[in-house]
Amino acid sequence: MAFRVLIVDDSTVMRAFIRRTIMLSGMEGAEFLEACDGREALDLLRAEWVDVVLTDINMPSMDGEQLVRSLEADGMLKSVPVVIVSTDGTENRMQQMLSLGARGYVKKPFLPETLREELERVLGGAYAR
Amino acid sequence: MPDSDWDEMLAAATGEVLETMFFTGIYGAAPVGESSAGPHTAARLSFEGTPSGVLTLSVAAPAARALATNFLASEDDEPLTDAQLGSVVCELANMICGALLSRVKSEQHFRLSSPDVLLPESGPYPSGPPSQSLDLGDGAMEIWLELEPHAH
Repeated sequence: MAFRVLIVDDSTVMRAFIRRTIMLSGMEGAEFLEACDGREALDLLRAEWVDVVLTDINMPSMDGEQLVRSLEADGMLKSVPVVIVSTDGTENRMQQMLSLGARGYVKKPFLPETLREELERVLGGAYAR
Repeated sequence: MPDSDWDEMLAAATGEVLETMFFTGIYGAAPVGESSAGPHTAARLSFEGTPSGVLTLSVAAPAARALATNFLASEDDEPLTDAQLGSVVCELANMICGALLSRVKSEQHFRLSSPDVLLPESGPYPSGPPSQSLDLGDGAMEIWLELEPHAH
């Protein structure tokens, strides 16, 4: 089953790391789109079908928190699941992002299986193990 | 919180990041000043919260190249650009800082700045000794953690 992942991070090397981690995780059929901040992500989401968004929080122009708020306020995009991938692993930050509408939270540094399990949980269906 | 507690948390955070994301570890202590004695890559970021502060990282060139090779899964014969090395060291600094602050019991959010590669015009390194001076096998890495006074 093919699925499309939008990776949102201002670091090109982190986007490459996440892409490679998913490709090597055993999840077949992943296609990738990338954006360097929330603004670019919103533009892409309005033009392309995406199954899940993986986004950093700390980014210029529009950060991950603003991106989640924007998606929640958009009737068409509200259903696109968002997983936060961030260095901010404080409990109150995680709770805040989940209460805003994020479906999952992966704290950097992360093990490859942690990212895969979170993707499987959020995508459900054929990826539920 | 005593400085020794910060040093302990910083060492634990650094080890976790290196092992999880860079597939390497800490081989022991390195002599102070070794990371920047020759060619090296350095990065700095600040954070606001309780406490606020600045984290500066310096990695000797061979160690930076080995870290970037592991992180990007590049082939040994594939040349890495200075921009890639700088980006990887920035990401390393970002993750160490995040992993450190995740260990701090604080009711506040921390806000991290985007890390910047330290260029000669970025200003001098911190004047004091590093909080950590580590042997990564391929070279040394030093970390300076400067906290605002009220954190003590």
